[in-house]
Amino acid sequence: MRRFLFPRLARTLPAAWGILSVIFLLSRALSSAPEGLTNIQGASIGGHAATPDQIRAAERLLRKRRGLDLPLFYITPAATATKQALAWRWHWHGTHNQYHTWLYSLLHGDLGRSFRDEQSVSMVVLRALASTLPLTCSAFVGIVIVSYWLTLLLARHRWLRPAVLAGLTVLHALPLFVVAFFLLLLLANPDVLALFPAYGLNRPESDTSWGEQLISSAYYLVLPLLSLVLVSLPSLVVQVDSALQHELKANYSLTARAKGLPERLVIRRHALRNALLPAISYVADLLPALVAGAIVVELIFAMPGMGRLLAEAAASRDFPVLLGAISVIVLARLLAQIVADWLQVWANPRIEAQA
Amino acid sequence: MKQRLFGFLVVVGSALGACSSHQQDSAPAIRIRWERDPENLNPLILPNENSLEAANLLYSSLLAVDPGKQQFVPSLAEALPTVEQTDSLTLLTYRIRAAAVWDNGRPVLARDVAFTLKVMNCPGLPIETNQAQWGFIRDIRLDPADPRRFTLVCAGRSPEYRWSSGDYIILPEYPLDPQGQLRPFSLAALRADTAGNQRNPAISAFVGRYTQAQLDHHPERLPGSGPYTLEAWAPGQYVTFKRKPKWWADTLHSDLLPLQARPLTLDYQIIPDEATAVLALRRGDVDVYPMMPAKEFQRLRRDSGNKSSLQFHTTESYKMITACFNTRYAALQDRLTRQALSHLFDIPALIQATQLGMAYPSVGLINPTAGHLYNDSLALPTYDLVKATALLKKAGWQRKPTGGWARRGVDGTTQQLTLTLSYRTGDPAFETIALQLRAAAGRLGIVIRPQPLEASLFWEKLRSGSVQMYLFTVTGNPFVYNFAPILHSKSIGAGNFTGFGTPTSDRLIEAIAAEEQEGHQAELLRRFQRLMHEEKPLTVLFFLRSRLAASSRLTTLQVTSLRPGYTATAIQTKAVK
Repeated sequence: MRRFLFPRLARTLPAAWGILSVIFLLSRALSSAPEGLTNIQGASIGGHAATPDQIRAAERLLRKRRGLDLPLFYITPAATATKQALAWRWHWHGTHNQYHTWLYSLLHGDLGRSFRDEQSVSMVVLRALASTLPLTCSAFVGIVIVSYWLTLLLARHRWLRPAVLAGLTVLHALPLFVVAFFLLLLLANPDVLALFPAYGLNRPESDTSWGEQLISSAYYLVLPLLSLVLVSLPSLVVQVDSALQHELKANYSLTARAKGLPERLVIRRHALRNALLPAISYVADLLPALVAGAIVVELIFAMPGMGRLLAEAAASRDFPVLLGAISVIVLARLLAQIVADWLQVWANPRIEAQA
Repeated sequence: MKQRLFGFLVVVGSALGACSSHQQDSAPAIRIRWERDPENLNPLILPNENSLEAANLLYSSLLAVDPGKQQFVPSLAEALPTVEQTDSLTLLTYRIRAAAVWDNGRPVLARDVAFTLKVMNCPGLPIETNQAQWGFIRDIRLDPADPRRFTLVCAGRSPEYRWSSGDYIILPEYPLDPQGQLRPFSLAALRADTAGNQRNPAISAFVGRYTQAQLDHHPERLPGSGPYTLEAWAPGQYVTFKRKPKWWADTLHSDLLPLQARPLTLDYQIIPDEATAVLALRRGDVDVYPMMPAKEFQRLRRDSGNKSSLQFHTTESYKMITACFNTRYAALQDRLTRQALSHLFDIPALIQATQLGMAYPSVGLINPTAGHLYNDSLALPTYDLVKATALLKKAGWQRKPTGGWARRGVDGTTQQLTLTLSYRTGDPAFETIALQLRAAAGRLGIVIRPQPLEASLFWEKLRSGSVQMYLFTVTGNPFVYNFAPILHSKSIGAGNFTGFGTPTSDRLIEAIAAEEQEGHQAELLRRFQRLMHEEKPLTVLFFLRSRLAASSRLTTLQVTSLRPGYTATAIQTKAVK
């Protein structure tokens, strides 16, 4: 296990550090003005008009409070007057810079505090994950189960394949927001069928039982879940189906049939295991999406979650939240890669032997 | 198999039943759609309009805006302040109502106001915005003979002080500073010592207590004097407020809207997507949908099926869409070019295309509904390509045989009339305006490139002055006419993004802000509108009409031209027949 894990960690952790560092430096370098003072800046006539000096002083104080007044990195270029003209020189700032402070805190497990609501970023991210994970994990399980079932169905009833694959291809061509709106307007619309709630999550109520709460929560998740499953399903089914068809034509399948095995056992015991190999990478690729949330679904169905958190943090330049959320997603991505590698080795031990 | 299916149906049926009964239970609440979360309910921060609306339910101010009267009225204060002016100071004396009490029955006193002002200037707390907005209040003098009376000492003179000196939330001293540790510090001392929290243990202890209270997400830890308490807040989902059984203003039986609070429960539901919000309104999941997009509003209003279940309101607003010119850009430095470009906007067509007619043009920054303050002798901007061509030629531009326009600048260089029109992305109205302008300019051979920008990048470019033309939303109000933040030369780079400012315009702006006599101020405002009409640092394309759709079970919505467009505390449900 150590031999398996260490080389992979040695490859992926520096990559994660690099990605996060680039995002940190780019996001901070792009911003010269802090968010949070737009309500007193030039968008209104009168009403507690702060003077330009007061606005500049407020900006200065806000930057200081958020640590944005420090140099960005250990070295930064700065204009220096020489005898002939101005010249760019590199200035060394030591460890008293934004990057060092951020990295030091990150290594100590401190993701900082949100610029918007002063809350601990860890808390904000955990809260978003608590909303996202039930939806995305259910969708993940749903996608895997339905794909598995549908692939077996298509393998056993081949006459269904043209129609179902055509349907799946059409579905695959539809963007997520179209599918989500279609479901919303079909199944939560008083003019058609108002079977499901149009938005939000179940509100916890003290006078209802745990079971009722669970059922009610599931009821609110039906449409978002269905949107995610419908959009992600086609590519997995098409991929596994294609691999399965290939395996069913292989010599070992013919041998199995020649031995007198019924077709369902040929499919399940022989062909499917090999057909699932290429799907492992695809399924592992879905894992970071579990953490990253589904911004389109979260916006349309007014659900809180990681997707909305990321979008809102980016729009309002809430860098600590943005970086905190991205850190979690990067970690999930690394974990997914390691899990995918491990599953590949487990499913096909020859891979390790070759490696 | 059938039994299993039946069991499944029972479970699903009971779930549906449970959910629908939940809807019925919440029926008495007034449910209002919010597009975004309030994010922060710390009275010192309040980062957006929703947080401001929420804070006004939890806390009270000395003065508050009465949307019905469209003016400031006394809230915690007994009356508007009496004003006394010295050479360099304005003294405003208030007295707090005898009825005003905190939730524990303690009276709201002048020392609570003093405490609030000190908190607003306390180093170590997030006070930047407060200091900038209320930095003109230099001191507070408590009346030793009357614990409810106090005088605010304000720097300089401005008629605006009469209102803005009382328009902030008053915090209770007793839960935050029971020992009165901040009392010995003067406002000036707190403001001057920006590191006082590091030096002084009393300030440091107070800052620690305030921070530990985590008022950002737990306003319930700070009892306010407003009519509601926070019942539940699920960030990104909903915020629910419950009416206090006994609120101090109930005893006043006042007809002023800020002193009334009718709904027992106010439930703000956060629905970012407009289509989902429309569906929620039609399903009856929300009762009030403020500032509905014009297209949806018109569609629902015309649909006869909604007549029995929904009501629709429009009213004028103080929100206007403007096309602004960066007068520091060489090609836009002269007013004739700016006037010429202003003639390229087809405003009636834009009003129809972007607002479906629910907007109105104006000659300038004053709302046409402002009566004698509006200079109706000026001509409304017209779409006139012939006039635009003539003005361009007058400005020295010459049409090149190859197309396009050029002229020789003051420094001898050749200037080309090619412009970029920047605007915040995401608003279809801006897109339409940009496309119309590009098409109209194209007919004259002028190249205008629309440049949609992400909101923060747009702000960044505005501040750095690197835009040429830009579309911008400006919000006015009926109380104060202070154009300094957007058009005074001292505000260039801090709010005046047009870069415009002449000694004449600066003097006029200062005179308007300082004028107390309404008649004289009207005269100055009309002069100001004429000046802007000629100089054209910006063109007001139109004022938006506020649009609100609501359930027909509601009454007394008090639809108003002031944000947020309704008065939540005034809403009542119709009696069931």
